[in-house]
This record gives sequence, structure tokens and C-alpha cells, in this order.
Amino acid sequence: METLTSLILIFIGAALINNFVLHYFVGICPFLGVSRRVDTAFGMGCAVTFVISISALLNWTLTYFVLRPGAPLPVWVWQLAGGDPATQIDLSVLSYIVYIFVIASSVQFVEMYVRKFFPPLYRSFGVYLPLITTNCAILFGSLEVMKHLQDPTKLWGLHEALALAAGGGIGFTIAISLMAGIREELDLADVPAPLKGAGIALIVAGIMAMGFMGFTGVEKGVAGAISTLLR
Amino acid sequence: MLTTTTLILAGGVLALLAVVMGIVLGWADRRFHVGVNPTVQAILAALPGANCGGCGYVGCREYAEAVASGEADLSLCAPGGTAAARELAEIMGIDATESFPYRAVVHCSANTYQRLQQAEYEGEQTCAAANLVSGVQGCTYGCLGLADCERACNYDAIRIVDGLCTIDYDKCVGCQACARACPRNIITMVPFKSDRMAVVACSNQDTGPDVKAVCMVGCLGCKACARLDPDVITMDGALPTIDYDRYDPDDAALQKVLEKCPRKRLLLVGKPTERDLAAVADEELPESVQADFKTTVDDTEWWG
Repeated sequence: METLTSLILIFIGAALINNFVLHYFVGICPFLGVSRRVDTAFGMGCAVTFVISISALLNWTLTYFVLRPGAPLPVWVWQLAGGDPATQIDLSVLSYIVYIFVIASSVQFVEMYVRKFFPPLYRSFGVYLPLITTNCAILFGSLEVMKHLQDPTKLWGLHEALALAAGGGIGFTIAISLMAGIREELDLADVPAPLKGAGIALIVAGIMAMGFMGFTGVEKGVAGAISTLLR
Repeated sequence: MLTTTTLILAGGVLALLAVVMGIVLGWADRRFHVGVNPTVQAILAALPGANCGGCGYVGCREYAEAVASGEADLSLCAPGGTAAARELAEIMGIDATESFPYRAVVHCSANTYQRLQQAEYEGEQTCAAANLVSGVQGCTYGCLGLADCERACNYDAIRIVDGLCTIDYDKCVGCQACARACPRNIITMVPFKSDRMAVVACSNQDTGPDVKAVCMVGCLGCKACARLDPDVITMDGALPTIDYDRYDPDDAALQKVLEKCPRKRLLLVGKPTERDLAAVADEELPESVQADFKTTVDDTEWWG
């Protein structure tokens, strides 16, 4: 039950409390660029959730077996080559380049797959899918997972990595859909001329970020609620 | 610590990853290959790619797909005109039907000085807004001259000259943007069967004295044209309409109509004739005016 509680907390933490967009301010480009209409914004959110989960899956695997300090693969290769077993081997420096590489390749793969088997979905994704390749929220998700694979005594499992990624993606979807809803209404509002467009959008984003600050501390209540529920 | 060991291991890891991803993506490219219709590609290349929407499809790609599947007519592309239609016909392997380029014509020809009963209008300077207000000018059918069409034109083909929108037929591609923008619907698209086409340059539905009260040049609805050339021109209420399907640029009756129209509201519009060009050949283009800002500080000495 400990695991389940921690999974739910990781998920809520990534989705609401430490929302990728409104707390860390990553993924701002699609957040401002694709938030003019609710349906496209929701589509973008779904695409991001999908890609962030896939890249977290791949990147967790790579980090766990290859990149983290004392990962099995390089240690095995090292000892096979007759190296000193006491040498500390750490390939964490590679994390950025490997993550970007993996994200770009997996997006390419997903794009080909979707294009072949779901042409209508491919059309509705349009340019968004390739754009996600360069979305910093995806990279950020993988880097957050990496943070929890540094200390060999408390390593995150794949389920925890996926909970964080899915939570981050759904948090992104929530934020961008809310933003799109507000901006649809904003089109009809009398905005002062100098603030039209990006200006008012950034102000709205700032106010939304302050609103999401209200979720701080929710995790204690959620943990309490789960423990009473399970008792 | 970045030792040689780490370096070699890092290089190895990256190389391994590159090989694995290369194989996976290469396999996926083969496995998930989607054939693109070469006809669509060829048609898309033959179209101008303006994505203007004049054909009624969302963009050039949609139109190309519709043409390739045989749904759409070949001559719908206004910017491409006859040349594009011919190319499409070649690609599709069918004979091109003769198609004429559609161009915008303005059914009003009264400039500011010829429109009567004008009132000072200081509201929002758009035709759409002025059209909501009564009494901006006497004629409720004619051009307001506030340039909604000029702003709508993506090809710089419309200018407001003396308060009347005027189309530059060297630039017009017939995308209909101006026709959609005009709140009074006085811009329509006409198939240009020759360089210069006869149009009814008035939209006023009233007759004689009512027209004279609001306009110095408007069509009075005398029906002279319809009597002279009943094949092509019919009266729709008090306004003549030209049936462009039966229109023949070399029609003798039409030439007579153009001469006889008492208000000269049946006009030839289109590219300037050689005579027009010859008439202005020796005129020099006005020099472009350079802004010459003078200081507003008045430092003249007191000399009173």
C-alpha cells in the first residue's frame, strides 16, 4: 500500500502541485502557441502526454541500465575489459544528449506509426507531433526521473517514472486546456491594445500559476485521505 | 570524474544507441511506408500554393486531392488561372475546357465628388461599421470608400482612388477576398473573356429621380441597354444585368450599348488599352514624396 500511496502522490505532485507548465515554466512554447482553441489545445495535451510517457519509459530503461552511477551495463563492460572493479563508473553526463536523441527518435517512430495506421489522427496532429520533439516539457520529465536514479539506495522503479510522466502530461493537458478556454473568452474581451496577443496571454499564465500555487500542501491531505481510506 | 574510461564508455554507449535507433527507424520506415499519390504531388506542384481558398477548398493540398480523385473541376484555381488549369489537365490526362480567369469588378463608379447627400462620418473608419449607420451618404447601394476591400486584398490589387475602390487588373488574381469583405456586396467576380469587359458599374436598385438625388453618375434604369442587346442584357428591377455566359466581347450590339448608355454606366473595365497607355505615355510618374520633417521649435527672434 505504501507503493500505491507514493504513486498517487507522485502523480498528483506532477499534475497539480508542481505542474510542469505553471510551476516549473517548461513547455511554454506550445502552452502559448497552441492554446487558441480548446480542441486543438486538448489534442496537443494528449499528444504530449503520450510522448512524455513513451520517452519516460525509454529513458528510465536507459538511465537505469546504462547511465546512472554504477549502472549494470557499463560496469559489466568495464570488468569484461579487465578494469578495476572499485572504479566508480558514472555516465550521467550523457543524460541530456541521450534523452534528446531518444525523444527525437521515438517521436519519429510514433509519427510513422500513426501515419500508417491512423491517418485521421495524423492529420489532426498535423505539425504538433514533430513540434513535440523540441518540447522542453518532455525533456524535463525525463530529467526529473533521472534525479531519482542518482542515489543507489532509493532508486525509482519504472512504475514511479511512468506515474511522474503521466502526471506531468495530464497536468500539461489541464493547464493548456484551461488556458485555451480563457483565451477563447479573451478574444471577445476588450483588451488594451498594447497587451493584445502574447502580452495578455502571459499575464493570464502568471495569474494561473499563482492559482496553481494554491495546490501547495495538498499532498499531506491526500496522503491522510488515502491512509484513512485504506484502513 | 571524466577519465579515459568514461570517455570510451560514453562514446561506446552513444555509438550503440545510434546503431540501435538507426536500425529501428530504418525498419519502421520500410514497415510503415505510406505511398503518396504521385498525381496529388504533381498537381500540388502545378498549383500556385497561395492557399487562398478561392476554389472552395481549405487549401491547395485539399484542392489537389479533390482534383486527383476527380471530384473537383480543373479550372477552380483563380490565382493559377488558365495556365494552371492547362497544366492540371495535362497531369490528369484530359482535355482542358476553355476557362476564363475570374476577376473582381466593382459595381459602383461614383467617386467622392459624384456621391450626393454625404454626411460627416467620424466613426470607426471601416465600411462594415459605416454601413450600419444611416445617412453616411445618400446612396445606400454604392461604395463607401473606407477601404475594407483594400485591407482584405492580399495581392495589393485594390486602391481607393478618390473615395472609390479601384482594381488593378495586373495584380488581381480573383481570390474573392474583396468580394467577401465588402459589406454592400458591390464587388463580384466576372469571367474575363477579353482583356476589357463590360460591367454594370452601378448597384442602385432605384429609378430616375431617386438615383439622381443621391448620385451624379448612377444608372437611372432607362432600359435602353436591354432594348439594344436583349440577348445579353436583361433588366433585374431597375438595374441591367449582363449574362456573362452569353457575353461575347466582339458583339456589335454590345459596342452600341456602350455608346448609347445615357449615363455611361455600362463600362469597360480591365487592363488599360493601348490607347490609354499612349495617352499617358509622355506623362512622368509622380516623384515619390520624401518626408521632410521640420523642427517645431520656433526660434525666430522677436521682431515686432
